Amino acid sequence: MSKKYQEEYEVGFTPRLVMEEASRCLLCLDAPCSTSCPAGTDPAKFIRSLRFKNVKGAAETVRINNVLGAICARVCPTERYCQEGCSRSGIDKPIDIGRIQRYITDFEDATKMEILEVKEPNGKKVAVIGSGPSGLTVAAELAKEGFKVTIYEKEAKAGGYLRYGIPEYRLPNEIVDKEIKRIVELGVDIVLNTKVGEDVKIEELRKENDAVILAVGASEGKMLPMFENNRKVIKAVDWLKKTKARKGNVKVPNNVLVIGGGDVAMDVVTSLKLLGCPHVTDVVYEQFSEFRASKKELTGAQAEGVTIIDGYVPTAVARGGIVKFKHRVIPAELKIKADLIILAVGQVSNVNGLGVTLEKGEVNQKGCRVEGTNVFFAGDIGHGEKTVVYGVRSGKEVAFEVKRFLGGKK
Amino acid sequence: MVRKDLSITFMGVKFPNPFCLSSSPVGNCYDMCAKAYRSGWGGVVFKTIGPKHYLIDEVSPRFDALTKEAEPFVGFKNMEQIAEHSLEENLADLRRLKKEFPNNVLIASIMGSNEKDWEELARLVTEAGADMIELNFSCPQMTSHAMGSDVGSNPELCRKYCAAVRRSTKLPFMAKMTPNITDMCDPAIASIEGGADGIAAINTIKSIINVDLDKKVGLPIINGKSSISGYSGKAVKPVALRFIQQMKTNPKLKNVDISGIGGIETWEDAAEFILLGCKNLQVTTGIMQYGYRIVEDMKNGLEHYMEEQGVDHLEDLVGLANKNIIPAEELDRDYIVYPEINSDKCVGCGRCVISCYDGAHQAMEWNKETRRPNCNHDKCVGCLLCGLVCPVGAIKPGERVLKPGRKEKNLKKMVLQETVEKL
Repeated sequence: MSKKYQEEYEVGFTPRLVMEEASRCLLCLDAPCSTSCPAGTDPAKFIRSLRFKNVKGAAETVRINNVLGAICARVCPTERYCQEGCSRSGIDKPIDIGRIQRYITDFEDATKMEILEVKEPNGKKVAVIGSGPSGLTVAAELAKEGFKVTIYEKEAKAGGYLRYGIPEYRLPNEIVDKEIKRIVELGVDIVLNTKVGEDVKIEELRKENDAVILAVGASEGKMLPMFENNRKVIKAVDWLKKTKARKGNVKVPNNVLVIGGGDVAMDVVTSLKLLGCPHVTDVVYEQFSEFRASKKELTGAQAEGVTIIDGYVPTAVARGGIVKFKHRVIPAELKIKADLIILAVGQVSNVNGLGVTLEKGEVNQKGCRVEGTNVFFAGDIGHGEKTVVYGVRSGKEVAFEVKRFLGGKK
Repeated sequence: MVRKDLSITFMGVKFPNPFCLSSSPVGNCYDMCAKAYRSGWGGVVFKTIGPKHYLIDEVSPRFDALTKEAEPFVGFKNMEQIAEHSLEENLADLRRLKKEFPNNVLIASIMGSNEKDWEELARLVTEAGADMIELNFSCPQMTSHAMGSDVGSNPELCRKYCAAVRRSTKLPFMAKMTPNITDMCDPAIASIEGGADGIAAINTIKSIINVDLDKKVGLPIINGKSSISGYSGKAVKPVALRFIQQMKTNPKLKNVDISGIGGIETWEDAAEFILLGCKNLQVTTGIMQYGYRIVEDMKNGLEHYMEEQGVDHLEDLVGLANKNIIPAEELDRDYIVYPEINSDKCVGCGRCVISCYDGAHQAMEWNKETRRPNCNHDKCVGCLLCGLVCPVGAIKPGERVLKPGRKEKNLKKMVLQETVEKL
């Protein structure tokens, strides 16, 4: 239906343009970019490799550090991490590190490089529950070390929020498929359509495996009480999932109200615009100065013509899709009537039947292991930021801890 | 993850990889050379050690760079001479380097002003533990005409000094050539006949790099004056490759090991020197601009190239391109290749039209309505200047046609250029 939604929003670099961008890099002594990635990426090294015509070496640097390198290149809010301290900002603007990484991983794909290597099997078995960023990362990192890893995924396809959340124009499923294929080629088994806690008991997995890692993510959207059972209301994650699964072939009403101001909200409003929705209004609790969404996504949404109203909180909803808001600080009120209301006010995790309890969305245990058990937890239900890059970081950390836990004697 | 063995034997000594610091400011003391070894350089040519009686007294500032558009360094000018540390300090550094880095190669560069100097220095660096010696016949900024490039352009002096060194050491040694000469083969042959085992080429080119327009002085300015001195960097690579190719195809030099020097910054540069016959590579300007770390990508990139070429030993690539450089009169002049314009890539700047009219054969025509070029084959001679100036790589070699009256050849056996795009 919409070509715009199906095509990557940001155009990739050509060889000439990527070299121009790499040439802007100052090749710093103690590059700030290389100390600010949660996932441990070393942009200074891969940009230098590119600059000196060693694109394959650059691809090795990206991939060895991050099994989801092509995904992070596309979805990471780099302005908050690697690009934040870029010395080039002292001249004009930071190096576009994300897009350089994308060029490199696209090159890796186009030249069919096989970079990752697997150690001899160590005889240990591990089960991972969930195949989002943290689940895929922990699985791949352990497979590289010789563990036999099986991922259990409740959906029909692997990828979690990468596949069912982030819209096609920002992260095509083709990219998700390729990253997962690389991980499967490391020897990771993925069991689909299987919800642990219902279809399989966690106790069984704990017995069959040397370790079990919970990486279930926060896949369920939050509901605000006033909108419960309202037929005009849908949760953002559900709408994104449906839209991506149908490749953008969804009915888009004339006038949509979105509530929320994080990256999920930005994904929703921009998708709506790319799908041809004439009137998209986003009302956000935070004021612009305290916005949670990445600047890039916010700018993209605004460029597409989304109306964003900041600083308002919903107070009531009336029949016919009329929502009343009041400003958090100043005496002001707002009334919006919409054909569809999409709630992007956060997500929650479902850990039913997994033997853990959550406190503020995170497992109520220190570190990443449930004390006295062989159960670990990673990603959104772990401690830390709830972004893809933190999922990767968490996956790597948990893999390290699992290795230490199971291979402690060595 | 690519893993290839980059080791190669040069003048009978095995190097862990062919990359060496050249004798210059980048290998001036123990600390620098130790850092270079730790950064992955296979060998170091320690900065040229001179005789005790020759006192070094340098100018300040002593460098300048040639720029073009936004490129900070196209070429580089250097006025620094040979090592400024005392002979004793330099020999102590050599000893310490060899002791602490036994698996890396240590090359002592020496320069004398008479036979006695050369004999003495060769003996001293041999005793200090160097693995091989390089005779600096080629520094163009010495304050003595008995030293440096005035020696290297005189084959008889090259022969005499090589013989002197041969008398006092059993180590393999190479003579470092100056490009400030018409034919490098003459001094190179004289050096080999004098006893050298190999040749290093090229040292820097005599140059005046820039002139300050207000002060009317060359750069760098030293109290209102400047001097001719050595030019290096990416811009000299073509000159270096030419001299090396000529030596490698000279019957008297074809089996002589050559260490290639001149504008090497990337693995691609390195591979070019290797394909034209070098078993060893030396770098200075790239290090001065970017640091020792550039060796990481030169090594890794070369390993990937070996992988692509299906080669396990670097040696297998040495000299593969030499046979394909032939005299101009022997080239196939029977065909021309017309440019092929990719209209999807073309952005309509018209640079090809400008260059074709002003610099070639007025064949590229311009459609003012569509703002797109079209090649008129009646005028086109197939020079492909258009492709070189195209900023988006939209022009590549296309249809190949025989000139009238020429005999068709077996197309499958022809090797044609596939692209003119530089990126």
